[in-house]
Amino acid sequence: MSDLVVETRGLRKVYRDHGRRIVAVDDLDLSVERGSVHGFLGPNGSGKTTTIRMLLGLARPDAGSINIFGQPYPRETTQVLARVGALLERGQFAPDLSGRRNLELLARAGGIARTRVDEVLDEVDLTGVAKRRSRGYSLGMRRRLALAAALLKSPALVILDEPSNGLDPAGIRDMRDTIPRLAAAGVDVLLSSHILAEVQQVCTSVSILSEGTLLKTGKVSELIGESTSRTRVGVAEPDRATGVLLRAGYQVVRDGAFLVVDGHEHPDAITRQLAAEHLYVYEMSAIRPTLESFFLELTGHRPAGAGDPAARAADEVAELMTEPAALSPDEETAS
Amino acid sequence: MNALIRVELTRYRTRRVILLILAAATVLTALVAFKTAWDTRPPTANELRTAAAAAEADGSRTDIKEQIALCEKDPDAYLDPGALPDQCAPALREAAKNYLPREKLELTGTLKGNGIGIALLVTALLIIAGSTFAGADWKSGSIRNQVLFEPRRSRVWAAKAVATGIGSGVAAFVLLGGFWLTLFLVAADRDVAHGSDVVNDIGWHVVRATVLAVGAGVGAFALTTLFRNSTATLSLLFAYSIGGELLTYLLPVGGLARWSLTNNVFGWLETRLEFFDSTRCASRGTCDQPVHITHLDAGLYLLAVLAVAGLVSWVTFRRRDI
Repeated sequence: MSDLVVETRGLRKVYRDHGRRIVAVDDLDLSVERGSVHGFLGPNGSGKTTTIRMLLGLARPDAGSINIFGQPYPRETTQVLARVGALLERGQFAPDLSGRRNLELLARAGGIARTRVDEVLDEVDLTGVAKRRSRGYSLGMRRRLALAAALLKSPALVILDEPSNGLDPAGIRDMRDTIPRLAAAGVDVLLSSHILAEVQQVCTSVSILSEGTLLKTGKVSELIGESTSRTRVGVAEPDRATGVLLRAGYQVVRDGAFLVVDGHEHPDAITRQLAAEHLYVYEMSAIRPTLESFFLELTGHRPAGAGDPAARAADEVAELMTEPAALSPDEETAS
Repeated sequence: MNALIRVELTRYRTRRVILLILAAATVLTALVAFKTAWDTRPPTANELRTAAAAAEADGSRTDIKEQIALCEKDPDAYLDPGALPDQCAPALREAAKNYLPREKLELTGTLKGNGIGIALLVTALLIIAGSTFAGADWKSGSIRNQVLFEPRRSRVWAAKAVATGIGSGVAAFVLLGGFWLTLFLVAADRDVAHGSDVVNDIGWHVVRATVLAVGAGVGAFALTTLFRNSTATLSLLFAYSIGGELLTYLLPVGGLARWSLTNNVFGWLETRLEFFDSTRCASRGTCDQPVHITHLDAGLYLLAVLAVAGLVSWVTFRRRDI
């Protein structure tokens, strides 16, 4: 029995838009190990959703192979999909039917016992509104209903495509709490997201995609370990200190009144260098590497600076995904 | 497969737009039945008296009297050979019934008029219902969830087509059956005689109209599944029926009326369709021979159109990205 729950080799998908060929996924080798919560990372338009649609048999690959549970796919689609639950970014329900009725019809079509409908409704906390037409559901309720549909088959693998999109903070937290619960119950999870903090919190391994190609894959802890650590330094004369450190071979970026110093083995080398020039450090803290910093490093983006409004907006979204109590000031700065 | 069909039937009958369409079809059918009954209601005593007086006054006109006198002298010249002089006055004077303000109920005439009209109306509404049934799946995105639970797309397509067919068939049969039952009851109440051949014609008409509604509903479903959009389907049907008609008259080829969608629909619905093909008149300079489209001709034509639409839709649905 293969250790891989999902395996793709040379997966490729090309779309045609007004005669223009758009390579959505190119030569993708994806491996998701059993017993993992695997994050599928990448900016919008990087090919995550297309890959998921191919994994679910909703889109045909132009080239490459897919194996799920070690079975060739889409040849064994019916057997494979019977064990896969999916929450799709744009998968919706019949608006004229209640949440319960929608699930009942899906269950009947999939040969699933009706009692399972009540169980999953209870699991996603929708029992109270199950009889309401789904057209009246809020976005968060619709996402929970979609999660209930994903869990209906009692799946061995759950694929979640941007599950937190459009949710309020409470909804995001609920969704984030659900994923470890599934993993604890022995369900493999493939989580697609562009919210890096979310992925770092819940995933054991990740694959990072950009413009349809796989940039990096591996365990989160190992990938973060590859990222260089930096140090934030508070010093009385930051301009002169910058010059001193640059001459000494460090990389220095100004962050307001502070300096962010890169390229050192130990922070004490920085203090020694500055003290030799009669510059005395009044504050110093390590900026721990995060998945986000690794991702930005990998994709060649500058780490989000304090003066960049777009980056700040992205930070705010990312912070919503993160438990405030679990954050250290350094992590906040880094994100 | 049975479970899947039941699922799709539930989706069909719980779709709000379809319920509204069926409600509209019921109301319109009832209205046409009521109007047919009302427009053929028995004359009142006053209307009978007025008609008799008008007939009497008309028959007393000098020119009519002169005509009757001439006829009585030579009945053969006015009437059929062997006619008797006594037959002249009744033949040349208008009967009182011709002065009544409306016709009495006549089921054969209704079949050719309102009967065909209501069958077309019900069919048109069921086309919209079939189209919106498929369109809703694509618009809401629920089709993705559906194929995740039943990945065998051929079965999904077939179950939806069967459900649309059953829904359309039941609706058409109930509505058209109700329409004609109402008129039969009205005729019985008014002691209007009708032969068994009329009952037979109407019975077969209802069967054919129901089959047409089934095919039309399934065809609309198939096209909408192909285009993923109800508006595209309805536009195509509109363009095909109007544009096709225009083409048959504009193309320099004779005898094209046989291939017009409208003529074939009428050929299928009517007890017997005969018409003069104006495209034949234009190309051959003669149109004294009426064209007759049999039920078999029309049925095969419509079945071929449905089969092409269904096949393309099914093949596409099986292969395309959702």
